[in-house]
Amino acid sequence: MAVTYAGNEAHFGGIVGVEDAEALLAWLYEHPQATLDLADCTHIHAADLQVLMAAALTVAEWPHDAALAVWLKSALSRG
Amino acid sequence: MTPILQQFMTESRDFLQSIGENLLKLEKAPQDADLMSDLFRSVHTLKGNSGLFDFPEMSRVLHAAEDLMSVVRDGQLSFDRRLADRLLEAMDFVSLLLDELQGGASSSAEHAQASVRLAASLRELIVVPDATQQGSAEAASGHGGTAKPGVPLDRVPDALRASWGEAARAGAALHWIVYTPASDCFFKGEDPFHQVRQTPGIVWQSASAVESWPPLAELDPYHCVLRFDLVTAAPRTALDEHYRYVPEQVAIVPLTLEALNPEHRAAAPADGVAAVRATTVGSASQATPAGGVAASCVDAILAAQIVALGLPDAVAWLPGRLKAIAATLAACHRSRGQEDVLPALDAALALALASSSSQPLKEWLAAEGNSSPIASISPAPEAASTTGGDVPFGRRSDDALPATAVLKVDQEKVDRLMNLIGEMVVAKNGLPFLAARAETVYDVRELSREIKTQYAVINRIAEEMQDAIMQVRMMPVSSVFQRFPRLVRDISRKLGKEVLLTLEGEETEADKNIIEALAEPLIHIVRNSLDHGIETPEARRAAGKAVEGRLVIRASQDSGRVLIDISDDGKGIDPAVIKRKAYEKGIIDEAALERIGDQEAINLVFAAGFSTADTVSDLSGRGVGMDVVRNAVERVNGSVALTSDVGKGTRLRLSLPLSMAVTNVMVIESNKQIFGVPMDMVLETVRIPRSAIRSIKNRQTIVLRNRVLPLRSLNELLADDLPQVSNELDEMATLVVQIHGESLGIVVDDFREVVDIILKPLGGILNALPGYSGSALLGDGSVLMVLNPKELVTWQ
Repeated sequence: MAVTYAGNEAHFGGIVGVEDAEALLAWLYEHPQATLDLADCTHIHAADLQVLMAAALTVAEWPHDAALAVWLKSALSRG
Repeated sequence: MTPILQQFMTESRDFLQSIGENLLKLEKAPQDADLMSDLFRSVHTLKGNSGLFDFPEMSRVLHAAEDLMSVVRDGQLSFDRRLADRLLEAMDFVSLLLDELQGGASSSAEHAQASVRLAASLRELIVVPDATQQGSAEAASGHGGTAKPGVPLDRVPDALRASWGEAARAGAALHWIVYTPASDCFFKGEDPFHQVRQTPGIVWQSASAVESWPPLAELDPYHCVLRFDLVTAAPRTALDEHYRYVPEQVAIVPLTLEALNPEHRAAAPADGVAAVRATTVGSASQATPAGGVAASCVDAILAAQIVALGLPDAVAWLPGRLKAIAATLAACHRSRGQEDVLPALDAALALALASSSSQPLKEWLAAEGNSSPIASISPAPEAASTTGGDVPFGRRSDDALPATAVLKVDQEKVDRLMNLIGEMVVAKNGLPFLAARAETVYDVRELSREIKTQYAVINRIAEEMQDAIMQVRMMPVSSVFQRFPRLVRDISRKLGKEVLLTLEGEETEADKNIIEALAEPLIHIVRNSLDHGIETPEARRAAGKAVEGRLVIRASQDSGRVLIDISDDGKGIDPAVIKRKAYEKGIIDEAALERIGDQEAINLVFAAGFSTADTVSDLSGRGVGMDVVRNAVERVNGSVALTSDVGKGTRLRLSLPLSMAVTNVMVIESNKQIFGVPMDMVLETVRIPRSAIRSIKNRQTIVLRNRVLPLRSLNELLADDLPQVSNELDEMATLVVQIHGESLGIVVDDFREVVDIILKPLGGILNALPGYSGSALLGDGSVLMVLNPKELVTWQ
């Protein structure tokens, strides 16, 4: 599982695939105040991306992967 | 280029040809349902074929064409000229892609935009709302399918924009990409985010939603609403290549100085589509300052010409004005490097002068504006949108004749060429005779030598021509082989046998006539192998062999001959059985029964009237034996060799000449006539003293190198009573020939030279005449009858 949920935090690791989008959406719906830890993430599928963008939440850790971080910052910062 | 791609090219050209023809026919008879379905089938097949390769541009256009045709075929839309125009346009596009591929282009990514435009213009004609039209639904479902979003430069911080402006001024070509993936893209296995992340040369990026985000409860994670905006420094071709599978969802807009410069923002195209249009048509130079300045100057000059053209025509100095305008226009276009439009301008000027009106020049300018940036300042800009309307793809049918690599030529034409070259060879052979006459009769040695020199030149050319036409007539044996898998399957089913057929060397080539002559005997041999050679599964199991019998047909080339080996691992031929059968059928007598060896016995299957099948089946053994095979092969100067191991299998080897067009014959003389004997039958020529000839019973023989050689005189074989003439030493000229593996001496009057001839089979009534393989014309104009010693001897 590329996404692990611990309390109010979702931890993204490695490549998060298209199949995680539905579960992510359901979890985010139940945890509107959730924070994200993207540190170990290298890629997320576009479906996950749009879920994250729609959810507009707080990112605790940006990815170490610089290229991905730039993209996600541009996508998620504005909410 | 792989063979399958080569085949695709050839087939596609044929399809395009027939599609084009059908479209033109349909224009005359739009109600013809047969033509319509024919056309649909062609387009459908072509599309399917293109899908096998990595040609998304081709497939896209053909898919749209197919959708359109399907609607027309179902009668929901009537066929009209506009439709035909666009379909022809689409086919021209496909043909262009084929040309480029043929020319070695590895991808057609640069045509992605053109293909999207064409596909859209085709789909636009499908006005019938039809849920089953998947293709059209698909095109409409993408957000970016029809309306392209604009370039929101205001979202970029001013500082960043200024730095791009610097970069652009320094000559960098920046592109703004707007990528709005189709809403159902996740179901096609696409990951648009991955796609944009891989875009080369990203300098700025942003992800957003096409519409505002719905509450999480209503969000469908698998309905894509994303929109990506990015700026890259990568070249346009790389971008086209990168997005070649989704060009209809991508807008690539070059960032020009005008667009980047805040003061000129108002003048910058607000609409991305307009920007795409204005820039894709080739004003890349505008990105550089020099180009930009020059372009704006030219635009101003052109605008002035348009005003001048709008002045009243009824003035005395009109011709001068027209000439001046034309000269200015020509200079403007020349400065843009558009010299190819100048002839059309000259024509328009001539027309304008002749009619004393500025109209032709106006029209020319308007028409020219359609395909060049000048359109933007034309008083009457064209209104066509990029996604619809009759946007010409810009390739007229007379633009470039396709460089077809493969010609389909009627067989008759090749045969005619072949005959003509044959005659040429004969005519050429007349020159040495002429040279000899010049020397002996007219006593001009100089002329004789010159004729001989000329002859050498013509001879070389004629030989090359002959060689070239031979190459044309070459056919791979696969044309004969291809029917065997089916034949073997059917026969083995019928016989309840299991056979594994292996074909090898299918690409081996030989002359068309040889290949054609091969078909019949080969089928017979295969049938024989299956029927008599390979055992039933039970018998094989009992003999300890694999249940599945093996039949191998192998073609190979060996020094000017084609060898075809047909081998099976069946029960083989038992010489004892053959001998007994041959004796029962009266083919051999009792003495021979004792005398002949195993190999000779096996060769008895080639004897006329021999059939080894115990019962006459409907497959082989219809009274047509292996003698038919042998005769058919020998008719084309081939030979058959049969070897067999009892219990292990049988091997038949057919050896055939590569070509039978030119025959090497030895000319002999008998009874004051000349005849030809094919050289490949002649073992040697000897002169034997009359005294050495012995008579055994009624037959003449001699002992040649310790072997008894039977002799026949040619006069006798030709039913002439005259004795053969000997030379002054009382020696008989004897031709030792090989017939069915045995030597025979044929006594003739004299030997002449060896010549190359084009052997023509005897026609008409003479055709039934055995003993002759045909006739040929000699250099001096006389006819040479070519003997067939095999038939001549056996015929007696």
